[in-house]
Amino acid sequence: MAEIVAIHATSHTPVMLNFPDAIPAAQRDEIFSSLKDLGAALAAARPEAIVVLSDDHVHNFFLNNLPALCIGAAESYPTPVEHWLKAEKRVLPGDARLGAYLLTSALESGFDPALSMELTLDHGVLTPLELAGVARTTPIVPILINCVQPPLPAMRRCYDFGVWLGQALRAYPDLERVAILATGGISHDLATPRMGMVNEKFDLELLDLLETGSPDEVVAYAKDHVHEAGNGAEEIRMWIAAMGAANGGRFHRRYYRAVSDWYTGIGMGHWDVA
Amino acid sequence: MSNWLQTMPTAEAYGLNKVLFELHHKADDLTAYRDDPEAYLDRYDLTPRARAAVRGNDVAELYLVGANPYLLRAHCIGMRIPEAESLAALRGAGKKEDHHG
Repeated sequence: MAEIVAIHATSHTPVMLNFPDAIPAAQRDEIFSSLKDLGAALAAARPEAIVVLSDDHVHNFFLNNLPALCIGAAESYPTPVEHWLKAEKRVLPGDARLGAYLLTSALESGFDPALSMELTLDHGVLTPLELAGVARTTPIVPILINCVQPPLPAMRRCYDFGVWLGQALRAYPDLERVAILATGGISHDLATPRMGMVNEKFDLELLDLLETGSPDEVVAYAKDHVHEAGNGAEEIRMWIAAMGAANGGRFHRRYYRAVSDWYTGIGMGHWDVA
Repeated sequence: MSNWLQTMPTAEAYGLNKVLFELHHKADDLTAYRDDPEAYLDRYDLTPRARAAVRGNDVAELYLVGANPYLLRAHCIGMRIPEAESLAALRGAGKKEDHHG
């Protein structure tokens, strides 16, 4: 049976790689340093595989066939898919066996994720792994939740999926140590009249609730207030799924700053794993 | 207030998004578009409004017709539309719509 040895969450934005100098050097260094610390904590937990909860930003999936939920079961994942992203082209190792197990187990448990055996992953997965310094070292299983094109899966459903994910990982017989990295959010708004808006109040209330509230309160807050925090804030679905997987483990924020010149409320945190 | 102009894309928006998607994902499409935009756009079933928005790099119109925000963002970067110009256009679009932002 596997142990979940770490559960982390962090914002991601392509701007981190494309326009790192759009913000003061001290602020950028602080963010990159926190991501390095996150990577060090993840590496110190010595996972044999990392489940990366993220979203596909309309690269692998289009409106002709757009899964609410997709589990990757490939042996490797080329990245990045964006021709405009300033990142080294590299191939991330995948844990196809764990992906297949999760997919099968999900279907048996009443969830209906799509299968993908070929994904070219985007900045949502690559940016945090790269900046945390853990890209290429540990096999991953990407789980992609649609946060980018309505209709979107319900916040509650994402929490329930996370609860299931935690149970399924703990029951996995073929590895001893697995970790979860959730990436996305917090508030940001892309390509709309509000672009550049960062809703610091929303972000801080969400982080407060993650630290001190119940999962029900977090889910209700996310559902009721996400439209105040921008289309990019829909990505808190990944944080909510990670919260579910943490099975009541306490959340600790590692970092938060509203970075309007990166268009994003940059947050990071982790959950206690029993 | 909603994060989304359309909670379900219209058929017009689908056609527009298909162009934006293929331009930035199919290997030769961006070059083909730059070489002969009219011929490239002839391949697609676009409304006149959507076609004019793409052809004119009209960020406000692209938004108002229903471009997916991630496809629109990628398009602005991929077409090297200056950031200040696309932001100003989006702000302007916000003044035109009556139920968002």
